[in-house]
Amino acid sequence: MAEESFLTDDFLGQLISVGEVDILVGVPTHNNTKTIGSIIETIQAGILTFFPRERAAIINADGGSRDGTPQLVVGAAIGDAQRSSKLYALRTLRSISTQYASSPASGTALRTILAAAELLRAKACAVISPESTQMTTDWLAALLRPVYSETSDLVLPTYSRHRFDGILLTNLLYPMTRAVYGLRIREPYALEFAFSGRLGSQFLAQNAWHEETARAGSEMQFTLAAIAGGYRICQSFLGTKQHVERHSADLVQAMRQTVGALFFSLEPNFSLWSTKAGSQPIPTTGAEQEFTLEPVRINRKQLREMFSTGVAELESVFQSILSPSTLAELQRIAGLEETSFCYSAELWVKTVYEFAAAYHKSVISRDHIIQALAPLFRGRAFTFLTENHNGSAANVEDNVEALCLEFERMKPYLLKIWNGRE
Amino acid sequence: MWEMIVSELTQAMQELARGFAHLLPRIIVVMIMALVGWVVAYLAKVILRGILRLIKFDKLSENAGASQLLTKAALPSATDLLCRFVFWIAWLGFILLGVQALGIVGLQEQIAKFFLFLPRLFVALLIMFFGLLLATFLSRAALLAAVNANFPAPRLLSVSVRTIIIIFVLSMAFEEVGVAEQTVLVAFGVAFGALMLGLAIAFGTGGKELAQQFLEKRFGRGRKDEGKEDELSPL
Amino acid sequence: MPLKQDEPWYKHAIIYQVHVRTFYDSNGDGIGDFPGLDQKLDYLGDLGINTIWLMPFFPSPLRDDGYDIADYYSVHSSYGTLEDFKGFLSSAHKRQIRVIIEMVLNHTSDQHPWFHQSRSSKENPRRDWYVWRNTDTGYADARIIFLDTEMSNWAWDPVSKSYYWHRFFSHQPDLNYDNPAVQEEMWNVMKFWLEMGVDGFRLDAVPYLVEREGTNCENLPETHAILKELRRKLDEQFPGKMLLAEANQWPADLRPYFADGNEFHMAFHFPLMPRMFMGVKLEDRKPITEILRQTPEIPASCQWCLFLRNHDELTLEMVNDVERDYMNDSYAQDKAMRLNLGIRRRLAPLLENDRRRIELMNGMLMSLPGTPSIYYGDEIGMGDNINLGDRNGVRTPMQWSGGWNGGFSAADPEKLYAPLIQDPVYGSPAVNVLSQKRTQHSLLNWMGRLIAVRKATGAFGSGSIEFLYPGNQRILAYVRQLDDEKILVVNNLSNAAQAVELDLRRYKGNILIEMFGQNIFPRVGELPYLLTLGPYQFFWFRLRRI
Repeated sequence: MAEESFLTDDFLGQLISVGEVDILVGVPTHNNTKTIGSIIETIQAGILTFFPRERAAIINADGGSRDGTPQLVVGAAIGDAQRSSKLYALRTLRSISTQYASSPASGTALRTILAAAELLRAKACAVISPESTQMTTDWLAALLRPVYSETSDLVLPTYSRHRFDGILLTNLLYPMTRAVYGLRIREPYALEFAFSGRLGSQFLAQNAWHEETARAGSEMQFTLAAIAGGYRICQSFLGTKQHVERHSADLVQAMRQTVGALFFSLEPNFSLWSTKAGSQPIPTTGAEQEFTLEPVRINRKQLREMFSTGVAELESVFQSILSPSTLAELQRIAGLEETSFCYSAELWVKTVYEFAAAYHKSVISRDHIIQALAPLFRGRAFTFLTENHNGSAANVEDNVEALCLEFERMKPYLLKIWNGRE
Repeated sequence: MWEMIVSELTQAMQELARGFAHLLPRIIVVMIMALVGWVVAYLAKVILRGILRLIKFDKLSENAGASQLLTKAALPSATDLLCRFVFWIAWLGFILLGVQALGIVGLQEQIAKFFLFLPRLFVALLIMFFGLLLATFLSRAALLAAVNANFPAPRLLSVSVRTIIIIFVLSMAFEEVGVAEQTVLVAFGVAFGALMLGLAIAFGTGGKELAQQFLEKRFGRGRKDEGKEDELSPL
Repeated sequence: MPLKQDEPWYKHAIIYQVHVRTFYDSNGDGIGDFPGLDQKLDYLGDLGINTIWLMPFFPSPLRDDGYDIADYYSVHSSYGTLEDFKGFLSSAHKRQIRVIIEMVLNHTSDQHPWFHQSRSSKENPRRDWYVWRNTDTGYADARIIFLDTEMSNWAWDPVSKSYYWHRFFSHQPDLNYDNPAVQEEMWNVMKFWLEMGVDGFRLDAVPYLVEREGTNCENLPETHAILKELRRKLDEQFPGKMLLAEANQWPADLRPYFADGNEFHMAFHFPLMPRMFMGVKLEDRKPITEILRQTPEIPASCQWCLFLRNHDELTLEMVNDVERDYMNDSYAQDKAMRLNLGIRRRLAPLLENDRRRIELMNGMLMSLPGTPSIYYGDEIGMGDNINLGDRNGVRTPMQWSGGWNGGFSAADPEKLYAPLIQDPVYGSPAVNVLSQKRTQHSLLNWMGRLIAVRKATGAFGSGSIEFLYPGNQRILAYVRQLDDEKILVVNNLSNAAQAVELDLRRYKGNILIEMFGQNIFPRVGELPYLLTLGPYQFFWFRLRRI
């Protein structure tokens, strides 16, 4: 049974009132007053359209919003008085909120939602990001139906994305997760996904709630826990991914949450992934991934510059992490002209694997290892952008696939350097 | 005359023998102390080695950058060094205790002072060790942050951080052992103050734009559009 | 607590709906009759019934179970004579039991002499007593009520070679209320029975009295005018009598039938009934609270009539499509159970013979605002027989004992007007009055206790209602209040034990006294009042400040 001591009395009281549900939708928020209204409305419409007879509840885990976000969520509940929504509600649709901390921590938010799902014995749960303004009611059906009909334990999304959106995903997270864990999961770090009550309880019971994961990275851990536990995973096509404007400094933070979580997972799951070879596709509803080809201007030059600077300035750090041959190669390409610059797939894979091994051995502080990877990633991003600058969507997909196969091919290398000293 | 010499010699010999006989038990005591001390010191060394291995002291010192320093100075590894150091100190301590038993006055005072000095030496070494650790960690953190934020002179920043911390730590260590206290203090104060002043001026005048950018990035919410290019998220 | 003396009697009535044919056969012909019913009045009195509503007992070809009347001034020969009826009426009154009878105003049987005269020729004086047309295109906006059997509201009469209007079965031609003679004659009919001593009428199918082109021919102002006139005459000549409207309409459309207290005294609350069943199935009070919030205020002298089941199908006309589908899927998976947009089943089979659910539903019936009406046989949990066609499955003989014909009649079983229920669960050996009287905790005895507690306070019949909306939506809680008397009712609509915290701050300082066992419960304080309820359990608490 899960530890409930981090749930407030008030929230527990609300959960008692809600009672058992069939469907639970969790929305973690922090100052999302601009978008939360339409998100909740879409969720409600989705529930009323696709699950009109099921008992459902919306749980908001809020990280100390000051702009009235939780009130908006709670105010949207459909209770004894029928709201003037276009859809008729056969049942009460509860919408409750709790503040889990005074500052956002996605891990704790997820944990709150999982605890609620377990206490309410929800059969199918979904987590929806409050920033997905392009969400439609179909998303709920796409995510929840496979779980509710008991054909799947975890449903991850696939999107129609711009081909240059999510380079970290296409060049590191997807290929490496695929190579290491043997499953072709396009979005191992998903902001919206659905899972069965079974899987939720299992994840909740694990002692995975360190300070680290409380702050970030638990979505990835969730996916990895599902893989490790042998749960049925599938993918569902949702639609267009919201393009979120982000600051470049967020790259390090993003890497901490995703790459950090991925590297962190390798050690405890060693017995699971060390014996796998190749990769299997997972059942997918709708398109597996779509790339759109809108023209976009990106400052590629800066990427390359930051790569070169990184290689030069961080030499002492890299000496602790990389093998001498890899480092030498990196230094060589750092000196190349922009036109002939190429961070090849093979070199990239070697880099990543050596970083993973270094992380495992904690040669230096693990957080520093992740930070050190950032400039190298920028170099790889530059190459990726260059290679796919004029390509079609199919070309991009082919290149990503080729990179994946490279990761898979070089997996023995990772195993070799995992424990041995280079 | 010969008889006088012989009798003097005999007398002297007798006195010597007497004195020696008087001293002999004490010398034996010293030797026993030395022996016991050796055994104890050896045990201490073994135990210490065990403990250090357990806490992966070598690793720690590698992180601190101490290992690199030691290798450069062709010294043995940190664990070894520490163990040997402890061994010698312990043995020396016991020997000195024994010598104290000899009752030679002036020596006693010096020995007492020596024992008083030991804890401070230990603390100073501790300060230096952890200071080195901190310096390495922070300087690397600064380096990585600067590189990732595209700061113009990351290595300079990193080295500056390291230097400042080492200077600070050294000053603390010297103060602790009481070596040239005042000199060190003053020198440190001057150097540190000058450095800070210099940085402030440089940052304020030369780095105006950099400061502006920095502040905007850190505290500005409505980011002015760079205008030229799109930024796509990595995820 | 004594009942308020100046309250109209129907506010404190406990109505028992029964068809004389089904109750008890005194002369061995297989059909229940008035002398038989007379003999069973003690049973009803013991149960706590104080008002009997009789289904139509007039002479009739019985093609619609008596709602097709062929003579308004007499009693069908199978049920006895007019004298037998008078005898029964007198016996009932001696036991302080009032009697309301059916009055079908809207239509007659096509066997009625009036219709024979009307159709015979266009010059007949009674021609205009019915609605005749040469084509069948008039009143096109009126809906067809018996969807499963009728294709049109117009029927062709070969005798008079024209079409006549009928809202119900084609053998039930509608009377023409635009004809003053019709209005006058129908008042004479009512007067006849009132003079005999009946205490009121249930007026069947009142929304459809008048037709007008371009309307849906329901609830028209002209209809209301006629009804008001009837009421006026009633008040003038027979004060203290009651008119009960059968109008299957939304609450807002029902409101005009009360007018300003000068039309009907009572009306059935049709929309509430299916929602009670829905609430229990959904385990959510929302359908119930929603409809009651939409129910308009009615004049102080008027009263809703609540019921769980009656002789008709459980009508799903006053629900939307989503709700109807849900009800059909939940309560009538077997399509044979569905009829005319409704479900033709009795209470116990609908609730899967679950004693707790039956008690809960009856508890709500007795505690929600209105006068309760119990359908005969539901007090012992009788079953139904859907194979009997139309709605006859819920109109089988009353089961008095486990013996010959269930104690209903001495006749041969084949002669019974309808076969007894025979399955092992609901058949007369399993479900009957005699064995339930002998079992202390039988449903029958429980119903008797329930009715007794209900009657001990006036708050249920005449009091106001205020809903509490606790966070737990499986709990339906409300407070009934009449002057100083306050009753807290808490119902658990779910199959699982529930905990609920009620905000009773405005009743702070009151001690709760559970009304069945008379035990005291903790006093209301500042904090929310915590109650726990077992599956389908309900509480009635009297709030007492000492």
